[in-house]
Amino acid sequence: MASLTKVQRHRKALGILGDVYAILIYAVLYIPVVVMMIFSFNDQRYNYYWNGFTTQWYGKLFTNHALMDSLWYSLIIAVLATVISVVVGTLGALGLKRYEFKMKKFVNSMIFIPIIVPEIVLAVALLIIFMNVGFSLGMGSILIGHCTFCIPYAVVTIKGRISGDGETLEEASMDLGANRIQTFLRVTLPSIMPGVMSAAFLSFTLSIDDVVMSNMLSGAKNTTLPVLILSMNKSGVTPDVNALTTIMILVIVACMLLSNAVKAALRKRSAAA
Amino acid sequence: MSTRINDTTDLQAISRKRDLRRKTIPALAQAGPVSVWMILFVTLPMLYIIYISFMSRGVFGDVVYEFSLESYQTLLDSIYFKVIVKSLQVALFTTVACLLLGYPFAYYIARKPPAVASKLIMLIMIPFWTNSLMRLNSWLLLFQTSGPVNTFLQWAGITSEPVTFIYTDPLVMLGLVTNMLPFAVLPLYSTIEKLQNSLLEASSDLGANPRQTFFRITLPLTFPGIFSAVILVFIPSLGIYTVSDMLGGGKVLYIGNIIKNQFGSIRNWPLGAALSVLLLVITGALIFLYTRFSKLEDMEVV
Amino acid sequence: MKRILSGVLASAMLLALCACGGGTPAETTAGTDTPAETGAAEASTELNIYMWQQYISDQVVSDFEEANNCTVNISYMSDNADAITKLTAGGGQEYDLIMTCDAYMESLIAGGYVEELDLSRIPNSSNINSSYWSSPNHSIPYLGNYIYVVYNTETCPIEITCYNDLLDPALKGQITSIDGARNLFPMALVALGYDPNSENEEEIAEAYEWLVKYNENVVAYGNAEQNLTNGTASVAFTYDGNASWAFAETGGEDSPLVVAPFTDDAVQLGFDMYVIPTGAQHTDLAYKFLDYICDPEVMAQNLVEFPYFCPNDAAVAAAPESYRNDPSKDFDYKENVFFQEDVGDALTIYNDYYQMLKVGQ
Repeated sequence: MASLTKVQRHRKALGILGDVYAILIYAVLYIPVVVMMIFSFNDQRYNYYWNGFTTQWYGKLFTNHALMDSLWYSLIIAVLATVISVVVGTLGALGLKRYEFKMKKFVNSMIFIPIIVPEIVLAVALLIIFMNVGFSLGMGSILIGHCTFCIPYAVVTIKGRISGDGETLEEASMDLGANRIQTFLRVTLPSIMPGVMSAAFLSFTLSIDDVVMSNMLSGAKNTTLPVLILSMNKSGVTPDVNALTTIMILVIVACMLLSNAVKAALRKRSAAA
Repeated sequence: MSTRINDTTDLQAISRKRDLRRKTIPALAQAGPVSVWMILFVTLPMLYIIYISFMSRGVFGDVVYEFSLESYQTLLDSIYFKVIVKSLQVALFTTVACLLLGYPFAYYIARKPPAVASKLIMLIMIPFWTNSLMRLNSWLLLFQTSGPVNTFLQWAGITSEPVTFIYTDPLVMLGLVTNMLPFAVLPLYSTIEKLQNSLLEASSDLGANPRQTFFRITLPLTFPGIFSAVILVFIPSLGIYTVSDMLGGGKVLYIGNIIKNQFGSIRNWPLGAALSVLLLVITGALIFLYTRFSKLEDMEVV
Repeated sequence: MKRILSGVLASAMLLALCACGGGTPAETTAGTDTPAETGAAEASTELNIYMWQQYISDQVVSDFEEANNCTVNISYMSDNADAITKLTAGGGQEYDLIMTCDAYMESLIAGGYVEELDLSRIPNSSNINSSYWSSPNHSIPYLGNYIYVVYNTETCPIEITCYNDLLDPALKGQITSIDGARNLFPMALVALGYDPNSENEEEIAEAYEWLVKYNENVVAYGNAEQNLTNGTASVAFTYDGNASWAFAETGGEDSPLVVAPFTDDAVQLGFDMYVIPTGAQHTDLAYKFLDYICDPEVMAQNLVEFPYFCPNDAAVAAAPESYRNDPSKDFDYKENVFFQEDVGDALTIYNDYYQMLKVGQ
């Protein structure tokens, strides 16, 4: 009996230790975000040190041409990269999972290259080849770059969601008279939808936060937001960038909570029905 | 009906045609785009960068298409070699730190009920939707000479003079570890989560103490996750230049910075290409090792 | 090999883009820009500029946009070499104005990378002091920078009167320095008594050795203003404009900062100038912009935000007191300057030693 309580006490102590440890790790992850947010209220031209409270940057950021342009540019690229990657990635995942063809093994290993190789290597390789064929750098080159590392993630994410019995269902659908496209939209797509959604989410996140690829492959009229921030580093980051980043993170978290709430509500309704 | 077709070649032609409609066209439509994309924008550029690394450099930073081993000889120069070694050390440190910090953390999360665990995983992801450069900038603001950390140290009487934290290797490493941690935690979490509780109970029922259970059961079974984490942390931190750019003040340089410079201000493309090939070789070696233990397709990348 | 590969890739890339349902936005593939020949009669509606970041007032730019009913797209370079890369790679396709510095003008003109200017279309250019105008037929100087030493009298352990003082071991980890091969090497060459634009490899190698020692004392490259203001560094080797902001942040007239009282060593004075790249698409707006930026009132307004050295005498006269009495301009060796010159093939030597300097820490 006594030994049991000893074990229990031991477990409890370990549990508390685990909680403390987890809180510490979360603290390290969240400290930079909190500091970033605090400094969006800093009353100083550049963020050098804390100089007093102001909310002016939340108004001024909308008049900062360079910042707004680069945000817009980043968003367009992220949306396009997400759409292309999800379309190519969904088809690719299905194709690579279901069909046998000569190059399959080769393509499968190529898909892992952008995931594994340091991004700078891929960026530099694309830069060299673009310069050589005279493909001018700009939105097109950045977009190709982003898709090149988003597509593999999309393929891998979606492939994991394709179940073995999908094909049987598709055959049943076609036996019942649906054509290939109807079957794809009504049967195949819904079954892999969670994978497609997380691939889209991942592609968007990767694209909007990318620095290395964009920095190498931009050069035309505009730069993306992360590239702008990187170039600001030499002179100091202005607090309006903090304000913008704060707004962005709040929007993302709000969207996430909303989608979770909607999902939960739907689940409840379907459970009730 | 089929009795009327008695010529076998006819039959083959029809079955081939049906195969084409049933298999080849959909296969092409589905696997085609991704294959073309990968060959165009991954295979070809990778081959071309290897080709460029064996070329010579022109006076104004243009590539002269003459075979030369100059770039690779430069890499063996003691000065460049030192940077390569230092980059490897830093990447190794980052990886070990991420594993040591990440494993218990992943274990902690994986032992929670699934509903709680998924929320805890979400909590790890949220900071990473903040621009990574802005998070790095925060470390700079915290640790600068007149920043909060120094103010606190002096107030608490731990130091009398402000300590120079910024623009040093340790701060760059802090930046690297905090930026890379999730890439270690996520694959670790997904392998630990799959671990069967019954196995651990069996182990302890058979008289193993917790330490034996950990080293004999838990660790070997979660090895694929550990190796995924190693690859996902080590290789990117070998090539990354943004962290050292933001926190190193132009004094802390790793391979990534040097590659970037060769394509920017220094303009020595063959040397930059040769350094990239070096990173490719290191990556290739690690992947080769990985495939000795498990299948590449099983790697938990997301 | 190269040509075949190029051909295959170009056609394949085009195919890939078409196949993927407009991978590239219309902007880049269809070329909505009117070429110079056909669109000369029509007024352009966009002007594309490539220049340094944090170097021109937003207000000045948006006033120009309003007055000319156009959009000004500015993209930023992170190194002078970037601008050269753009110019030599046919920058006219993308930009109408590119900022470059005096050191590269000679080879740019020789290579035919920049358009010859018709100064009659830039009447305000008469305000520019001709002694600061090295290539008047091809460039319009925008702002200039002294690269000099500033230090904090309260925290800097020594008095600095020449470059060699910067090697003093007492300054270990105290200097925040400007970066770039053609900014660092001239300082070392002057300190050693050589020509700051030397093309002699032995002298450059010696300068490298000097810089290795200097490097010991450097805490960071870049961020001069930030590091001076928050106390990370007590000495800065930086531009006068950045120094001006640091003075303002640390109390203006009462600032503990001083411009180092140099006795003999010359300091670098550089000019950033606008050039029109060969084949620029919107030359009409480019000329309008050049004339606009040379207008004394406009430049004076710009100087309030960007207090750099200005070669436009009329603008300096029109600038407010705060600019003319700026403590960062309060030093008496304004004439003892040298300029960056084109060093031709020696650039490779500089770059190699510079890379070694940065790598060998």
